[in-house]
Amino acid sequence: MKESPQDTADFGYKTVDREEKASLVADVFHSVAAKYDIMNDLMSFGVHRLWKRQAIACSGVRKGHKVLDLAGGTGDLTAKFSQLVTESGQVILGDINDSMLKVGRDKLRDLGLVGNIEYVQMNAEALPFPDNSFDVITIAFGLRNVTDKDAALRSMYRILKPGGRLLVLEFSKTNNEALSKLYDLYSFNLLPTMGKIIANDSESYRYLAESIRMHPDQETLKSMMEEAGFEQTSYQNMTGGIVALHRGFKY
Amino acid sequence: MIEVVASAIVESCLNRLLVLEPELTRSLENCKHKVIAVELRDWQHTFALTYVGHQFIVFSQYQEHADCHISASLETLTKLTNPSLLTQLIRQEKLDLEGDLQLAQNYSSAFSNIHIDWAEHLSRYIGDAPAQQVINSTQKAHVQGKTIGSSFKSTVTQLCQDELKVTIHPLELEQYKMHTRHIKNQAAQLEQRIQLLLNR
Ligand SMILES: C[S@@+](CC[C@H](N)C(=O)[O-])C[C@H]1O[C@@H](n2cnc3c(N)ncnc32)[C@H](O)[C@@H]1O
Repeated sequence: MKESPQDTADFGYKTVDREEKASLVADVFHSVAAKYDIMNDLMSFGVHRLWKRQAIACSGVRKGHKVLDLAGGTGDLTAKFSQLVTESGQVILGDINDSMLKVGRDKLRDLGLVGNIEYVQMNAEALPFPDNSFDVITIAFGLRNVTDKDAALRSMYRILKPGGRLLVLEFSKTNNEALSKLYDLYSFNLLPTMGKIIANDSESYRYLAESIRMHPDQETLKSMMEEAGFEQTSYQNMTGGIVALHRGFKY
Repeated sequence: MIEVVASAIVESCLNRLLVLEPELTRSLENCKHKVIAVELRDWQHTFALTYVGHQFIVFSQYQEHADCHISASLETLTKLTNPSLLTQLIRQEKLDLEGDLQLAQNYSSAFSNIHIDWAEHLSRYIGDAPAQQVINSTQKAHVQGKTIGSSFKSTVTQLCQDELKVTIHPLELEQYKMHTRHIKNQAAQLEQRIQLLLNR
């Protein structure tokens, strides 16, 4: 199994070709796009809103800022950022998947948010922007889907302005044993069943549960960020470490 | 996490208030996109409020620089209903206000000018008669609330006036605080860098 680690990547618990992973991930999000928001609320009992709220409070986004909401999907963070940066700022909602972008665009337009939002299809591993372009970059529940996370972090570092910051909101490792057992039970049994009933797609939700477990824990991600050049890196655990918010600065 | 929930609840209440009281939109025009932070000393927690035009956003655990920063314990904040204690509280360092005084004033006057016709709004949900009943039975509380509201207003006004008379000039204090903050940040950065070098 170990012979050529460069050519393979984790897809949930399966090991697949690196190139295959990107298209498998794309399939997952194509198939969940339409029901994504409903499932988010149901799966997390609405708590994802609180996690995102905390990310926004820590982002320091202000009037006039240029913000990239990477792997932004259906644009929950973009919606708040758009109001905070005002007409003098700009928010770019970036995602690799055009189905997700389309759902996001429709939703934000319905909310009356237009004018300072741009929708751009992009791969986090090779961001299509010049150096030093953004005040803030966020990636919420997106990094675990990216094949080459180190390349993605380096790419984010490159396009941040000096003084700018990156926020990574992602599932992580809880150190509470009881909570961890309950969470396992929930995500490997209940979650795919819910996915089957509501979105008629248990496979995608099984992938989500598995990809969460394969994601680096708090300390590992922190050192990956430092490796990519970020300074003053820190993280805060939420909901007992089920989710962690990492933050790092570029100076 | 409980603070995040609290901030979400406060935010939706405030936004509801905006719908019930369209006048607020006008009186908050000057507060647009400015951030007011309230640090609860005993919780060691800072909440912040910003008005983005037709909507409020409430942050919990706010660590950024706010346009106006108020710091006090929850107990002190409730004491604010007694304006005569104010200068004393600042002198005793139990309450601290830095930044844009005007912003605090604007907010307090905007909120104290609210006159919502609760009976009318309620009747839309539960009918006229029950609405009137609810209003009557809560009248006492309502009057009490109003008293608190108006004394809060005079408190903040007094705060702003008294602040100017407190021993150090506010501008000096402001500058001093900015300096210490700056130094603190620099020290933190330095520490980080030293740590990095040591870890190499
Ligand atoms: C779980 S969703 C998160 C959406 C949104 N940020 C939220 O929190 O609701 C993950 C998103 O990451 C996107 N994604 C996956 N791999 C990506 C990559 N390499 N580059 C950019 N986006 C990617 C997916 O298309 C999907 O929309």
